[in-house]
Amino acid sequence: MTATTAAPEHLPGSGRARLARLAQRQGALVILVAAVLVSTFVFDSFGTAGNLTNIALQASFLAVVALGMTFVIMSGGIDLSVGSVFALGGVLAAWGAQHGTWAALLVPLTVCGAIGLVQGLVIARGGLPPFIVTLAGLLFARGLLLLISDEGATTYKVPAGSAFRELAQGGFLGIGYPIWIVLAAFAAGGLVLHRTSYGSTVLAVGGQEDAADLMGLPVARTKLVTYTMSGVLAGFGGLLMASYTSSGVTVLGVGMELEVISAVVLGGTLLTGGAGTVLGSLVGVLLLQVIRNVINQVGSLNSNWQAVISGTILLIVVTVQRWLATVERR
Amino acid sequence: MNRATSPRHWRILASSAVVLGLALTGCTNPGEQDQAAAPSGDGGGDGQVVKESSGEDCTLEDYGAEKLDLANAVVGFSQSEPDTAAFRAAETKSIREAADAAGVERLLVTNANNELPKQIADIQNMLSQGAEFLIVAPVNSDGLDPALDAAKQKGVPVLTIDRKVTNTHCEDYVAFLGSDFYEQGRRAADAMNEATGGEAKVAILLGSSGNNVTDDRNSGFKEQVAAEYPGLEIVAEQTANFARDEGQSVAEQLLQSNPDITAIYAHNDEMALGAVTAVQAAGKQPGTDVKIVSIDGTRNAVQAIVDGNINAVIESNPRFGPLAFETAEKFFAGEAIPEDVIIEDDEYNQDNAEAELGNAF
Repeated sequence: MTATTAAPEHLPGSGRARLARLAQRQGALVILVAAVLVSTFVFDSFGTAGNLTNIALQASFLAVVALGMTFVIMSGGIDLSVGSVFALGGVLAAWGAQHGTWAALLVPLTVCGAIGLVQGLVIARGGLPPFIVTLAGLLFARGLLLLISDEGATTYKVPAGSAFRELAQGGFLGIGYPIWIVLAAFAAGGLVLHRTSYGSTVLAVGGQEDAADLMGLPVARTKLVTYTMSGVLAGFGGLLMASYTSSGVTVLGVGMELEVISAVVLGGTLLTGGAGTVLGSLVGVLLLQVIRNVINQVGSLNSNWQAVISGTILLIVVTVQRWLATVERR
Repeated sequence: MNRATSPRHWRILASSAVVLGLALTGCTNPGEQDQAAAPSGDGGGDGQVVKESSGEDCTLEDYGAEKLDLANAVVGFSQSEPDTAAFRAAETKSIREAADAAGVERLLVTNANNELPKQIADIQNMLSQGAEFLIVAPVNSDGLDPALDAAKQKGVPVLTIDRKVTNTHCEDYVAFLGSDFYEQGRRAADAMNEATGGEAKVAILLGSSGNNVTDDRNSGFKEQVAAEYPGLEIVAEQTANFARDEGQSVAEQLLQSNPDITAIYAHNDEMALGAVTAVQAAGKQPGTDVKIVSIDGTRNAVQAIVDGNINAVIESNPRFGPLAFETAEKFFAGEAIPEDVIIEDDEYNQDNAEAELGNAF
């Protein structure tokens, strides 16, 4: 079991293989640091405290969702429903805010968690492919959103003076609460992955599901927890966004699942499951946000360059991952 | 061992979907699309004329902003949807040209690709790059609060164009410049009456649902028909999401199930152009057997009027540049600006299409 899990760097292995593993894990971090350094020198307004906290704040919504997706992908699955669930969470939070702060927090987390739970049940117990199940979830959540918002025509507003607004608009030490929340959530995620049996089971399931099953690991329960958490976190991301924008915007989250998946993969988590880091996903999210910011800094560049550049980097990362995997095996 | 192999398939699917999806992000937007029409590079000097102004006035003093000389200012423009739509391309181009004409020191242009979070980031980004005046084409009427708050904190006035925000006037934004979509619908009904001679069975191709443009263009049309034209009977309405391909397939289905349809009203030109093809496929002559009226004023649609395939197009003028900078200059000179500045939209029909083709976008 430990062979596929917690701390592969303690394993014996050739220097080359170790280097390959390091590159796989920290590749995105190197690109991120380089991009930030270069941009700071080239653009006057990039390295300002205001701009950097903006980048962090804007990345935090995606980051929350990416945390759940990281565990899903490490378990060998995929969750395509997160974009719709994110939007649904936001609409439910803004709706709930009319009835008090607790409703704004609990309603979206409960509903989105339930969607994740049902998906997890069908995947774990029914043995259906996550791609199809969560695709159904994507349609279901978006449909539910349109139903409760009068086909998207009604946008619920968070009442002025509601404490719920503070959650994403307030801050501590000049840094917005969402950034603190993301830091705490990722620290917790790292602990869960490396220090709990659930974390090691996730990696084992993603590495070799049949073997994990034969070893008597709780495969089904682990998947159930993973998809439920992904639903909860996607809903939580939407909830934060509702607090940030003071409204339950109905047009959010379209195509977001792809952005989240690419951030996770950029961060070094293998799309085939079984390996990955929590911190890497945070780096992946930041990298996407920095690319977007830099393209705005250039000013004259068409904003579609962002998609072109992100797509290219992703393609390179996936190709390198594949190549490194063969180096490791040798 | 099915379980071992089947996940492979979707994993490959998933990874290709991610790569593809990234490259395509922004192409799937519910707004007005025009993939095929080439944005006009020449001519098209159809500037906007103010039709009416309403709402409370707002002055520089009320707004609490400082005087600014646009000629030496950094101005930011946040576009909402990709420039693949002819409307958006014409709008962005017009803002760029007007900024040049006004001699601004630097114009920052961003495109939110229809994502609200990106628009918020774009606006904050332009503020940190030193923008002193902002023109915003909002992605959504609600939810721009963080961006507008940031602008307020920096004392940067915001002018919204083509879509109105629900925030507080003269506190969060200076004014709204835009078309009256409801009026466009009413005028489309007038044009339909003209084209059909007052007797027709009309099918409506609706724009994307949950969109004020769709709602207003539809209710304006219907209310005008109910009030003035009893001979126009609305026999079907279906959404075609402002897209040409959907306009074509929906029109085909409608013509099949309702062969006696004699007129089609499309909420935008793209769907109307799709309908032209559908009518032809049904063995009928568009513009003659089935009259077609739409809204927008893209070059392809106006050309279709010249060719006799479309009967009339109500314009929705995207050239906000000159009016936006004129409004800004007045505002910074201390003049009062009304909350809503509604522009005059033209109409293209068989009488003027050929002469006015240069004004289409």
